[in-house]
Amino acid sequence: MKRILCLSLALAVLAPLAQAAEKPEDAAVRKALTDLVPQAKIDSIEASPLPGYRQVIVGSQMVYISEDGKYMLQGTLYDAPAKRDLTAARLAVDHKRKVDAVPLNRRIVFAPDKPKYKITVFTDIDCGYCRKLHSQIAEYNKRGIEVDYLFFPRSGPNSPSFDKAISVWCAKDRNAAFTAAKAGKTPTPAKCDNPIAEDYKLGAEVGVDGTPTIFAPDGTKIGGYLSPDQMLAKLQTLGTATLAGN
Amino acid sequence: MRFPLFVTGLLLAASAFAGAPEDTVRAAMGKLAPQVKIDAVQESVIPGFYEAIAGGQFVYVTKDGKYVIDGNAYDVANRRDLTAGARAKVRKSALDKVGPEKRIAFAPAAPLTTKHKVIVFTDVDCPFCRRFHEQIAQYTAKGIAVDYLFYPLSIHPGADKKAEAVWCSKDRPNAFTAAMAGQDPGKATCPNPVPELTQLAQSLGISGTPTMLADDGTQIPAQIAMSPDQLAAELDRMAQASAAHN
Repeated sequence: MKRILCLSLALAVLAPLAQAAEKPEDAAVRKALTDLVPQAKIDSIEASPLPGYRQVIVGSQMVYISEDGKYMLQGTLYDAPAKRDLTAARLAVDHKRKVDAVPLNRRIVFAPDKPKYKITVFTDIDCGYCRKLHSQIAEYNKRGIEVDYLFFPRSGPNSPSFDKAISVWCAKDRNAAFTAAKAGKTPTPAKCDNPIAEDYKLGAEVGVDGTPTIFAPDGTKIGGYLSPDQMLAKLQTLGTATLAGN
Repeated sequence: MRFPLFVTGLLLAASAFAGAPEDTVRAAMGKLAPQVKIDAVQESVIPGFYEAIAGGQFVYVTKDGKYVIDGNAYDVANRRDLTAGARAKVRKSALDKVGPEKRIAFAPAAPLTTKHKVIVFTDVDCPFCRRFHEQIAQYTAKGIAVDYLFYPLSIHPGADKKAEAVWCSKDRPNAFTAAMAGQDPGKATCPNPVPELTQLAQSLGISGTPTMLADDGTQIPAQIAMSPDQLAAELDRMAQASAAHN
């Protein structure tokens, strides 16, 4: 039951969210999940494309539970003829809402003049692929991609990476300090009010489990590092998929 | 014939879904991932689904071929991971076809008798595989017979040649033990089952070494199997559980 364990660990980070009014027929579904994962905090129970199943959102994950509460399916649901990842599409809606709610003054922004796409990147100063990504920041910008950074120091609070993120945030020229730190310079220690803990918590809520984790404008989790050309291609495909799919 | 003649065209169109489980799964996966090889298909214990191994991954496909779930299924009331059980069944039936002439066996020596049997996918250049084999006398002393199958990983360049050299030596078990202790097995070549076993492992979704499987195809976690005491206890427990179950 390894995956269930991962699920419950991720859930422990989350504060309970407001629960939607429950339909009586969801009692069996709710009971099934709490039988399997007692500490699960259910965000919502809703209709599922899968006949006979309800879909349950638990933190940043989704599980499918039969209406009679007998079976639970945990994984990715695809619509085969439409070649569509229905799980990711549904979760993207929540991710977009949560990521969009982060105000501009909590982000470190590297934008071209007229951005065509905006990606949100959860980053850690001490991560190789994050550094690689940022070393090419001009190339992403050149392709019309705005990069908004949020911090997700993987080692968590009270760790050197976390402190570096705070120091960068509190530097006079934040963007310059960020770029310097990404190039391997140790930031001058500084302290001030900062959103690092909040960003870190948000990351856990939207399923960030490594860095960089990149979200497309529509909330789709693109995943890890992509080269500037690959990123542009991905954003273009997502753009059309969204248009065609919805 | 319940259907009037005029729906014949419709029936023909639907015939792809009305066929054998293999046809349904092939059609659904063909749309999602045309290049993925389907290794096994069977009726699932979950009503309304077939289950299959596709490209080494376990998937569930609705019987109408519309939806595919890439993930795990749980029986809620019995708290059972159904996917692990189904995967074990598929692995067992595939491994039953691998005859003793393709294995390197270390069995308890008389007067000890074999209480349990495990199959271990192994690689000469994998540190944990070596560690496991260092303890081979302790496993056999506890009545555990170990059948090794070669699975040299591509991340260990040259490990396939070493496996072949071991296989082609005069005293196979001794050559194996020597190679596992770090000795160069030489460069002997001969007809050997290494490529076939490698392909088998991949088709069963086995991605690393050492992978230890109990007699019923259940994968035993490395943290248990690496300890002779714990492995013996776990195999005893599994034998009791299965006796109680049947």
